[in-house]
Amino acid sequence: MLDPLQIIRLVEDNMRAHGLPFPAPRESLYSWAKPLNLPEKGSPMIYTGGLYQLTPYIVSVVESLSKTEDLRLTSMAFRASRLLSALGLSGLVVRPKADVASYIERVLRSIVELLREAGVKVAYAYEDDMYSGVILYDLGLDSLFKENAVKVYRALKSRGAEVIITVDPHTTHIMRSVYPKYVEGYDLKVKSYLEVLAETGFKVERRDRGDIVIHDPCLYARFESIIEQPRTLLGNAGFKVLEPRRSGRMTYCCGGPIEGLAPKIAKTIAKTRLSELAEKPGVIVTMCPICYANLKAVSDEKVEIEDIALLLRG
Amino acid sequence: MTLKFEAWKAFEDIYDVLGNQEFQEALKRASTNNQAKVAKLLHERPELLGFAEEVRDLKRRSIEALGELIGKAMESLERAAAKPYYAGTAEEARTLIGKIIGSGKRIVMSKSMAATEIGLRSYLESLGNEVWETDLGEFLIQLEGSKPMHAIAPAVHMTREKASTLVAEKIKVQISRGSVEETVSAVRRFLRDKITTADVGISGANALAADTGAIVLVENESNIRLVTSTPPVHVAVVPVDKIVPTLVDAFKVAIVQAAYAGLYPPTYINIIAGPSSTADIEQVRVYGAQGPRELHVILLDNGRLKASRDPALKEQLYCIRCGRCQFECPVWVHTANTWGGPTYGGPMGIVWTAITLDPVEAGKLSYLCLGCGRCDEACPMNINISRELRHLKTLATQALRRS
Ligand code: SF4
Repeated sequence: MLDPLQIIRLVEDNMRAHGLPFPAPRESLYSWAKPLNLPEKGSPMIYTGGLYQLTPYIVSVVESLSKTEDLRLTSMAFRASRLLSALGLSGLVVRPKADVASYIERVLRSIVELLREAGVKVAYAYEDDMYSGVILYDLGLDSLFKENAVKVYRALKSRGAEVIITVDPHTTHIMRSVYPKYVEGYDLKVKSYLEVLAETGFKVERRDRGDIVIHDPCLYARFESIIEQPRTLLGNAGFKVLEPRRSGRMTYCCGGPIEGLAPKIAKTIAKTRLSELAEKPGVIVTMCPICYANLKAVSDEKVEIEDIALLLRG
Repeated sequence: MTLKFEAWKAFEDIYDVLGNQEFQEALKRASTNNQAKVAKLLHERPELLGFAEEVRDLKRRSIEALGELIGKAMESLERAAAKPYYAGTAEEARTLIGKIIGSGKRIVMSKSMAATEIGLRSYLESLGNEVWETDLGEFLIQLEGSKPMHAIAPAVHMTREKASTLVAEKIKVQISRGSVEETVSAVRRFLRDKITTADVGISGANALAADTGAIVLVENESNIRLVTSTPPVHVAVVPVDKIVPTLVDAFKVAIVQAAYAGLYPPTYINIIAGPSSTADIEQVRVYGAQGPRELHVILLDNGRLKASRDPALKEQLYCIRCGRCQFECPVWVHTANTWGGPTYGGPMGIVWTAITLDPVEAGKLSYLCLGCGRCDEACPMNINISRELRHLKTLATQALRRS
């Protein structure tokens, strides 16, 4: 267990300094889309909220922080914040995990290409693709979350967004089900790209691409009722979708949401889930960067894990 | 004696049990078995889903009218010749019970989370009484000197090997290591004598009917039957959120609780509406026939009435303590109630800790919540537990930032 107050301060300080929860360059959020030259205004608009792009940074923050996790943290240590000075968290320099970073770029570009193939032309706000505030909400930093949400909403509206297309379950949930409670007059229509693709009847003319084991992300399955869409899309792309023991509405968490505070518990949960997914043959498919990173971190070379966008794109 | 709790200590315990193979193994066996058992049961008996829906509805109505129901229950209990008391706090409840029981008594208890919540066992011991838990799991907890690790299965963290060794050592009997049968029968022999000679029996309640003052208790072991009917005095500690309008409602609560705990049909359902009595001679009612002469009912508030007016925590009062949310939680299945306060743990238990003890410390515990919503999905009362936990996080975060 890490000291929650340190994490809270780290996130707060970084948000105030440059609008991102971790020390990462602003550009890291939109550089993936530079070569695509998407229109910078209009609707529907892709809104990533930054979760995919921040994942390589989160992975390295967690890696450096978890070195202190095993020290026995008594209430004294928490209060005196000895670790804070030992680690120099405020001046923490974070190098993104390079392999994860390039993977994520490929995922995001594939999503845009998939939408294009399905006949959906999207705009993208580049500098105004701001961080959604998922972590602020999860840490209970409500006033900062609200402040940020209002900014995000205004920026998207100023770019002409009416419908936003989200790319991960956390951002989908926060934009669709949480923002309306915090932002007055909120009127954005929010859809996950998986919903958009499924609505268009998107199909890839390929057959017999083998077995895959589906890992439903908690927020899609239980909070946003996105369960059938990925199955239909994967089926249409020639895969045989296998269900793990716990799937759909009763899917099992990858442990990711607490990796920042309790990496050891998060990894224990990830192992439990991974071994369950590996009971079936086939590539494990994820739809969330946090699931991807967390399951990947506890797997060996024998297990193949792939983001749904890359599988659909094939 | 005031109960205090600091979340950081719980975090230390959590990290200890993470590395404890035996603990992890016991929990894995129990949660896997229980998940499968309940899933099968609900599949085979879809009528239970209908019952759960009825209970959801009646619990909502009950909590809406909680203040009124407490008054009604007090009146009905008086009519039933029981002695009702309202205890605003844990301390008041302890003092009341201490006055009823006094010192130098032998006391037997059936598992009651409410009794643990008010620290009853150690309080009664401090007054110079001898106190025994009679539920097997709770008895193991008493011997181990720990706290209940699950709402229904307090010793869920113990393997058969651990349980048999513990009992053999503590009550000084011969048991083959790992023999569940021998453990159970040794405990039965040991406790039987305590129960038959006890001065007071203490129980909790699954539900209390406001219309009749009847207490409903569900069980498999039959220890509740013995504890509530053998000694001359019965004291029941009933949290006020367990009050429902009618006896039929109370019965339904017990059925649903048992089913979602994986025990259906339960072996026994007890209905206790007043002390034991007879009017067989000339139709003159005399109390204390074969059962207790006195029945004292402590209606325990301890933060509940206040919570019933708090939109962020109110839903937890619909809880029937089936323990489903614990067995289904990805964090809890590795920590059991070490992730919790002194009495309640896991998803529901953190909210109960907030209601009955300390919202900010409970909020710190909730930092370990994944927000994954499996508890919400599993809960027969459809309580939005993960939303409550996130609310508690905001309280902890505010407090930490001020510190
Ligand atoms: S919160 Fe729901 S699932 Fe958990 S113990 Fe209470 S009733 Fe059962």
